[in-house]
This record gives sequence, C-alpha cells and structure tokens, in this order.
Amino acid sequence: MAICVFHRRSLLLVATLAAFAQPVLALDQAMIDAAKKEGQVTWYTTQIIDQFARPAAQAFEKKYGIKVNYVRANSNEVALRVLNEARAGKMQVDVFDGTGATASLKSEKIPAQWIPDSAKRLPKAYIDPEGYWVATNLYILTPGYNTELIKKGTEPKTFQDLLDPKYKGKIAWNSTASSSAGPGFVGVVLNSMGEEKGMAYLRELAKQNPSGLAVAARQVLDQVIAGEYAIALNIFNNHAVISAAKGAPVDWIPMNPALAVLSVISVTKEAPHPNAGRLLLEFLLSEDGQKIYRDADYLPVDPNVPPNDLALRPDGEKFKAIYKTPEEIDKEMPRWAEIFKSLFR
Amino acid sequence: MSDVAVKESGQERRGLFARFMPRDERVVFVAIIAAIFAILVLPPLVFLLKGAFTVTQNGETHFSAHRFAIVLAQRGIWTSAYNSFVFALGSALLALLIGGVNAWLVERTDTPFKPLAYLTTIISLGTPYVLYTSAWLLLLSRSGPINSWYRELTGETGVLINVYGLGGMILIEGLLWSPLVFLLLGSTLRNFNPDLEEAARMSGAGTWQTLRRITFRLSLPSVLALAMLVFIRTVEAFEVPALVGLPGRVHVLTTDIYEMMHRTMPPDIGSASTLSTLLLCIVAVLLWYYSRLTRNAERFATITGKNFRPNKIPLGKFRFLGGAVLVLNFLCLLILPMLILVWASLLPFYQTVRASAFKLLSFKHYGRIFESDRYLSLLGNTLLVAVVTATIVMVITAIAAWLSVRKIPGARMVDQLGTVPLVFPGIVLGVGVMQFFLATPIGIYGTIWIIVWAFLINYLPYGIRYSYAGMLQVHRELEEAAAVSGASPFLAFRRIVFPLLAPSLVAGWLFIFLLATRVLTLPVLLSGPSSQTMAVAMFDLWSNGQGPELAALGLLWSFAMTAVALIFYFFARRSGVGLYGQG
Repeated sequence: MAICVFHRRSLLLVATLAAFAQPVLALDQAMIDAAKKEGQVTWYTTQIIDQFARPAAQAFEKKYGIKVNYVRANSNEVALRVLNEARAGKMQVDVFDGTGATASLKSEKIPAQWIPDSAKRLPKAYIDPEGYWVATNLYILTPGYNTELIKKGTEPKTFQDLLDPKYKGKIAWNSTASSSAGPGFVGVVLNSMGEEKGMAYLRELAKQNPSGLAVAARQVLDQVIAGEYAIALNIFNNHAVISAAKGAPVDWIPMNPALAVLSVISVTKEAPHPNAGRLLLEFLLSEDGQKIYRDADYLPVDPNVPPNDLALRPDGEKFKAIYKTPEEIDKEMPRWAEIFKSLFR
Repeated sequence: MSDVAVKESGQERRGLFARFMPRDERVVFVAIIAAIFAILVLPPLVFLLKGAFTVTQNGETHFSAHRFAIVLAQRGIWTSAYNSFVFALGSALLALLIGGVNAWLVERTDTPFKPLAYLTTIISLGTPYVLYTSAWLLLLSRSGPINSWYRELTGETGVLINVYGLGGMILIEGLLWSPLVFLLLGSTLRNFNPDLEEAARMSGAGTWQTLRRITFRLSLPSVLALAMLVFIRTVEAFEVPALVGLPGRVHVLTTDIYEMMHRTMPPDIGSASTLSTLLLCIVAVLLWYYSRLTRNAERFATITGKNFRPNKIPLGKFRFLGGAVLVLNFLCLLILPMLILVWASLLPFYQTVRASAFKLLSFKHYGRIFESDRYLSLLGNTLLVAVVTATIVMVITAIAAWLSVRKIPGARMVDQLGTVPLVFPGIVLGVGVMQFFLATPIGIYGTIWIIVWAFLINYLPYGIRYSYAGMLQVHRELEEAAAVSGASPFLAFRRIVFPLLAPSLVAGWLFIFLLATRVLTLPVLLSGPSSQTMAVAMFDLWSNGQGPELAALGLLWSFAMTAVALIFYFFARRSGVGLYGQG
C-alpha cells in the first residue's frame, strides 16, 4: 500500500508527538482507523466554498467516510475565532488555513508542530522550517484590467506605465492591511525598487488618485469587470482567469514583479479530533488533493500537478515574483500599511 | 361569584393602600427588566471598555488611557467626526421627510394607491441590506445606466451624477431608512386623537394650519424619537460609508474603526473599542438631551379613554398629487432597485444595462439555487433565529417602555441601558459575545442560540424605540380606570396597554424579524459548522465575486420574507391588530 512507504519515518513523528493527550498516529492504517473513530473534523477555512471547500470536503468524505464540518470566513475572522477558542481553552477547530494569520498564532503555540507525510515531497519553501504550517496552494497577485475600457495590447505593462495620466482616477485596490491590497502593492514596490526609488514611485502613483475600496480583492476585480474602474492592483490572477472563462471582459497583467504568497494550513495543537484533522491535511497535500486545487483553477504547490493555466505561475524569467512567507508578511505588513495610509488616504 | 369577590377585594385593597401598592409592584418589574438588560448588555460593554482602557505588553495587561491619545492624535479623525455628523444629520432628515410625507398621506388623507406604500415598505425591509445598497450603487455608479446613458446621449465622457461622496451617502442611507420612518410614524398618526384637529378646524384653521400647528406638534415626540434613532443608527452605519464613501475618499468614524481593525492580524479589537467608546459617549450625550426633550411626554398622549379613530383629510383636487407621490416613492424605492437586481441576477457576470448584454441573459443562477440542498437547511435556522429574537425583544421592550413612560423609579435608566447596544460596531459586539460564552460554562458557543443572544442585544434598542413611540400615546387614564376597577398593574398592562400597543409592537416585531434574517456581520462571526444561517451563505457569495448569484438568492429571499411578513399580517389582522389600525 502506498501509504506504508512513509511508515518508518512516521514512527519518529509518533515518538515526538507522544506527549499529546490523545494518541496521534502517523498515516498508516492505525491512524486512519483512529480518525474514523473520531468520525468528524472541523475546518475553519478561507477557501471559497463553491470553488474549493465543498468539493474537497466531499472527496474526503467519500474516501474516508469522515464528515467534514467546514466554516468559511475571511482570514481575519478565522484568526479571531481560533485565537479566542484557544485562549478560552475550548478548542472546537481541528484544521484552519489562511495566508498571514498563522504566523501571528504561532507565538501563542496554537498550531501543532506537525507536517503531513504527504507534504514531504514538496519543495522546502512550501513547508515552515519550524513545522507549524504547510502550504497547499499559491496566490499570485498582479494587476487586472477591463478589456473593454483598455484594449488588449495597450494595457500598462510596467509599474511606470501605471503613471500615465490617462489612468488617473481609474485605478482601484483593496485598502485593508493585506497582501491582496494596496499595502501589498506598496511592499512589492519597496522590495523591488529599494526604499528611495520606491517611495518616489509611490508618491507619483498617489497623484493618480487610486480608489481604496473596503472590499476584498475579489470584489475590487468585480468592480473592474462592471466598468467602474479600468485597473485593479494586487488582485489574485487566477480570479481574472476564472471570470474571463465565463465571458467577463477582464484579463490580468504579468507585471514584474508580482507578489507571491502562500495559502497555508495547520492542525491545531488542542484539536478535538487530532487524527481526523491530520488525515485531512494528508489528503489535501496528496496528489489527489492537489488535483482538487488544480480543478478549481488554483495554483497547487505540488510540482507534479501543474495548474490548468501554466501562464499564471511565474516562470522566473519573463514573469517574476517576490515570494513572501506568512512570517515575512506578518512582520512587514504594519509598515507597508502605515506608508499606504500616509500616501493614499 | 368568585369574580365579584375578587373585584370587591381588589377595590378594598386599593382603598387601603391608596397609591403606593401599584407603584411598588411595578418596581419589581423594573428590577426584573433591569436584570435581563444587564445580563444582555453589560458583558459586551465591559469587554468594550476593557479593550479601550487596557494595553497588553509582553503578555501582561494593564490599565492605560494610552489608546485614546493615539486615536485622538490620528490624522483626519476630526474630519471623520465631522463627516459622520453631516452624514447622520442629512440621512435622518431625508428619511424623515420621505417617510413622514408618505406616512401622513397614507394614514391621514384620502390619497389613492395606499397599498403601494405598504408593499414598498415591506419588500424593501425584507431585502438584505448589502444587496439594497449595491442595487442603488448599480443604478447611480459611474458605469450605471443613468451615467452611461447620459454619456451616450450627450457624447460626454464624464458623469452626470457622482455618487461617491457625502451627497450620495446621504441619499442612499436616507432612502434605506425611510421605510422604518414610514412604519413608525404611520403607527403614531394612525392612533391620533382627532379632537384637537377638529377643534382647530372649528376655530377656523385651514388644513395646512391644522397640519402644522396641531398634527405636527402632537407627533413631535415620536418624530424626535425617530430622528434620534435614525441619527444614532446612521452614525453607527458601516455599509454605505464603506461602499459609497471610501471610493470617494470620504471617511467617517465607523470606516476609521474598520481600518484600525484591519491593520493587524489578528484584528486589533482594542483600538476599535477605543473609538467605539468615544462613539458611546457621543450617543450618551444625545440620549440625555433627548430624554430632557421628552420629559413631559404625557402631554402628547393621544390614546385616551375616548374614541380615537382619526379622521381622514380630503385632499380634493390635490388627491392625485398625493397619489403621484406614493407612486413615485414606489418606483424609486422598490421598482428601480428591484429591476436592476433582476437584471444583475440574469447575467453570468455583472454588466450595465445595454443591448449587447441581452444575449447573455439566463436563469442559470436561479437553477443553481433550487438545485442546492444547502439553502433549505439554512432557511430553517434563519427563520428560527429571527422569530425567537423578534418575539423576545418585543415582549421585553414593551414592558420596559411601559415602565419608562409611566416614570417608575429607575425605569428611565433601564431604558437607556437597553439603548447602549446601538453603538457596538457589529464585529466588536460579535467578539464580545463570543468571549463571554467561551469564558462561561454556558455551552451555547457554536450553536444557533449564540446568534440569537447577539441579536437580542443588537435589536434591543430598536424594540425600545418602537415600543416607546407607541407607549407615548397611551394615556395613563386607561390604566387608572383599570386600577379603579381592581386590576393589578400587570393585569392592566396585559389587558389594556398591550393590546393598545399592538400596532407598534407588530411593526417592531416585523422590523426586527426582517432585520434578523438579513444582517451579515454577527452570524458570519458566530455561526458554527452546524448553525449557519442564510446571511452566511449570502456573505460567501458577496465576498467571492458571485454578485449575480447573490442577486438571484437575495431576490428569492426577499420575496420569501415578504410572504412571511404578509402571513404574519394576516394573522395579526384576524386577531384585531390590523395593518391599517384597529379592527
């Protein structure tokens, strides 16, 4: 059986995790049996239900007969719930995911230090060196534009192009302190141009009067599709592809460099269903699980499961990206947000 | 036989204890209501104050007013405060104007097309807030039909209406609140004692003069109560400032709270609490001023022991002008937003109204909703939460308003305690309730009852305003008559006051029911895996770029809720509490 390949290595993990109240087993038949005995798993997710959370939950239920209770909220609310449950010592959640929140929860030792066996084939960059999280998929943040307001071929291709006076008042972004928002764009500019040049550029960009919207990147893109703005900055490029496939007048721009962030997942340390939670992670990071991400038009982390649209992923030559771990984002975001506020509010 | 005995002994008791006995009994009620309000309101309030006045450093929490210094030194905070004030005042005035004119036309004149006004009100109250705001934005935005048709007709490249600004915010918020004003003011005008108006006319006053000097003056306490309600609620409003104000760089206090909260991960509840505490102080001052204004409220009581069926003013040749106003209101408040939502719900992705988009129209989104089994289970949860919340709130607040208007010692303070939740931003309240139940052994975290609890807190102020506005009109002489006949104060309340209050209570119940079925923030934060409500599903669609499917779901939902509301009205009417007044 394929799952037995990792058996020996898993024994080590079992030893390190023996301190837990409930026995936590490695991915072998014993673990699956224990998970089935627990019968269910609770997952707080930021993934879109229709596109990902439900198909994934159904596939998992079908394979193991373990019920998945998923609750969807944005990353802010997921972090709040997990934090409050942990502080009150009434953990309900077994598994949670997000882009930045995990890093801030690490200091309170809320996620368990545990990496699924199935993730061990992945490149190192996708696994937390401290072992608190593992990435499931990649988000690439780029500009998107309305193809009726800006003819294909004439779209801005570089940061400098965005300063063209004809785009004045036609650029929008999310104004919250998130990577998929204006502050994330500030971060990319400062990281790629350096402090001095970067700040000079941002001051020029401020003259374009970009509109800061208090809605998620997905809704900023929707307003661009509706024609309310011509360009959206730091949106998820796969969202543009998903909408364009439905016929929406929208495309994304491989503007260099893009911001690449990881969607990471963890099991909680005090999980009420520790084995079922671990089994869910094993599943999502297995090849079958990664294919669910691919089929939803997301960018899987598994090198053997390429995304449906290969162009979405930076190739490092023509289309480059700055990669940020959750810890880096957690650390640098307050400064980016402060600069964003002082220049663009 | 025993009946007579009870009556006699009642009379005897009254004779013995003179005035003291009924007062004392009612004080017990004050204590009970105070306890209920305190259990509901104080935990989140303590949580709010704790967040505002403490700073955590290296894992240690200590008292500090440091956050206030930071908040008050923040750039643009005074501009935000000014904007909040202008926005709230403008919206309250607009809502009063639209709702008031409509209410007067419907309740006190012989204008045609009256049912349209009720239809408009009920459907618009049943429409999810975020959907309604979006509908208005779709109509008035840069790419909306009005501006794009203007561009096509004139060849201009700009816009005719720029909705992103204070003006647009006031317009949309005012329209959103006008149905509430209509419902509340309607119940006031309906229960009007016509004697004074008749007296005015007998003394030679014209219709206009009577309206201005009698009708308007007598409605003043209700109008002020309403203005205060809309004003406070607008100071606290988030959706319209966020969706309409921020793109035009108009900041108000609530959007500042939002931005503070989203600056860090996990959210900085402390700073948001600080600003909320400041809001609380502002509102407290307003409420104090308001209570002074209405100190002598009983002068305005118009439901007395006498017949109080109000007369309807014949408008004569202006009758159709009145009808035109109602039709215009119906068009602007209901038909136009509904049409644009129907349009949006038929598209695969949103586009403005234009010929080239017609070929894309389909009923696909409706099909998806009916195929999904998820929505059916959400429906049950949502209805249960809304019915339980609305019923409990209206029963408690009816008693509270009664005690308060009758000036039972302490009741006034209880009343104001119940109004405090007006200033909790949704997320602060949600987190407060969440922490309360995580910290106590009451195991309702993760069930629908925690949502009911949060809703009770959230809607208490609305219940109070509805009950209070109704209660102001019931003159105490009716209860005095009951007391003289030997009824205990509570019996008098149950048999006399409660039925007379019924139209206001029904309106309030309906309002809270409809609000509870469509509000997003609280359920999204508090629902567990098995306690999701329809609002959660709507929020998912909204934040995932499935606007057209949201429009479809929202429309189906509004029509379902309208049906529920109509059924409710049907029963209310049969039990003697008609839509158009008594009987």
